[in-house]
Amino acid sequence: MTEPLVLVRNLSKTYRVPERAEGLRAAINSVWRRSYRSVTAVCDISFSIEAGEVVGFLGPNGAGKTTTLKMLSGLLYPTAGEVSINGFIPWQRRPEYLRRISMVLGNKSQMLWDIPPLDSFRVLGEIYRVPPGEFRRTQDELFDLLDMRPLLAKPVRTLSLGERMKCELVAALLHRPTILFLDEPTLGLDISMQRRLRRFIAEYNRRSGATIILTSHYMADVEALCPRIIMIHHGQLLYDGTLESLANRLTPYKILRVTFDSEHIEPIDAGTLPTGTELISKEAANWTLRVPRGEATKLAAFILNTFAVTDVTIENPTIEEVIDQLYQEGAL
Amino acid sequence: MKMNLRGGWVLIISTWQMWLQHRSFFFLLAFGWMIPPLISLFVWYTVSGTHAIAGMTQSEFVAYYLFFMLVNQLTYSQTNWTMGDAIRSGFMNLLLLRPLHPFFHAISTEVAGKVVYMLFVIPVVILLAPILHPSLHTTLYQVLLFIPALLLAWLLRFFWGFWLALLAFWASRADALLAIQDALILLLAGQVAPIAVLPAPLALLAQLLPFRYMISFPIEVLMGNLSLTALLEGFAQQIGWLCFTLLLFLVVWRNGLRHYSAIGG
Repeated sequence: MTEPLVLVRNLSKTYRVPERAEGLRAAINSVWRRSYRSVTAVCDISFSIEAGEVVGFLGPNGAGKTTTLKMLSGLLYPTAGEVSINGFIPWQRRPEYLRRISMVLGNKSQMLWDIPPLDSFRVLGEIYRVPPGEFRRTQDELFDLLDMRPLLAKPVRTLSLGERMKCELVAALLHRPTILFLDEPTLGLDISMQRRLRRFIAEYNRRSGATIILTSHYMADVEALCPRIIMIHHGQLLYDGTLESLANRLTPYKILRVTFDSEHIEPIDAGTLPTGTELISKEAANWTLRVPRGEATKLAAFILNTFAVTDVTIENPTIEEVIDQLYQEGAL
Repeated sequence: MKMNLRGGWVLIISTWQMWLQHRSFFFLLAFGWMIPPLISLFVWYTVSGTHAIAGMTQSEFVAYYLFFMLVNQLTYSQTNWTMGDAIRSGFMNLLLLRPLHPFFHAISTEVAGKVVYMLFVIPVVILLAPILHPSLHTTLYQVLLFIPALLLAWLLRFFWGFWLALLAFWASRADALLAIQDALILLLAGQVAPIAVLPAPLALLAQLLPFRYMISFPIEVLMGNLSLTALLEGFAQQIGWLCFTLLLFLVVWRNGLRHYSAIGG
């Protein structure tokens, strides 16, 4: 068996943050005597990622997602633990490693603010020593995928947030990284721009086979892009697996909504429902049932065959509800 | 740290492109830097109109300050500001993710700056020279000595500015120190007055601290006022300070980066 591309073992990061009470006296005291508090941002996390995977890091604000990402990209030294990515130790920041990766920080820009994007791209192309022919091909391909030709001649500072994020993605991908770290890539963007970037990221992964690790607060990002999620909460790894099985584990039920033909109201005796099924609400011809996951389709079929109904839907509880429940409880 | 000349070159060009976007700001900046030496020039021009001061005649003052403007701009260290800003704004994170040492970023803005400043300084010097009649008894031998002195002066000022800028790794208001440094340069690098004209205690201080070797010393070499001993002493001081500054830079860079990577930008 070959070693996975990304191997993380018992990774921890503890920050020392200065601390003082409020008020002028405390401020003066803190000039020569500072007290520090240790804050554990990431605590004993282990996982591995295979080449070509798209993995979403989920977690509430301050959970340790960005800290983990910064350790993987080499910007932060860990307090303990090991990371090996493609055989490199990220925080040694060897040029051979840096040439293979790219990181997009949703709140930091690598574009030169005052000049058109094309000029920034050229600088990056040279810094990464991309051969001119390959540089042009990659650039053209990215411009087409993101439909951004009209933006290219304007100074970056005049672009909208979404347009700028397109530029950031191009800037990050010009050297064709094999590993891409995206920290909140859709932060602050409108719905259609979010969808467009999601499609782009998925397409890039499909075309290039790059491994993509992204953090996001938008469930839609994760649902659309990440077959696998890693959930971090209070610096600890809470869950690692598919989104679907997370939902299954958290909510073993499905919601069944039945609309009966109004001439045959109350055909079911609630007492005869299959075990585990619960009648949640009953409003005239609209019934809402909670059914064990495995029973849902069977029951729906039974109802359809037995009664005169106009509509039956089977729904999952929304993923937001599932995740919120998880954040609140802080454990699986 | 491998050289990437094309990378450095496009960084230089992009720096120029950015400045061209702010033409008026940049003109004002470059003009602003020329004003203080010009004021000193006119003050000493007037004062020395009737008699020589500390052995310097009026036309020698003129020559001294015209060269001062050139050397000051050639050795000026923007790294003070560019690197400090990169650290404070978090741009350093992005620089560290690139397979090019941030050092190259600093050096290419330096080079970009030098070229542009010269576009301002040289015409002004050429314009003022025939009006103010500088006198210069420079020999080829002095010119040959001036070149290494200028190079050392630039390296010293560059790395001195660099290590100060890196203090931003620890204290976000480290640029307050830069104001102190600028004041010391004003006083001890030969701007307010040539070192020869300074009162004895200040002149001694100027000999001992690094600032004279950043601007004044190459001009003194060029003007030909230094004895052989003073010349050797000056070069020794320059090289000594440069070595010390390099060491300081390396220590601060290494520890600063470790600190930065420990706390995150």
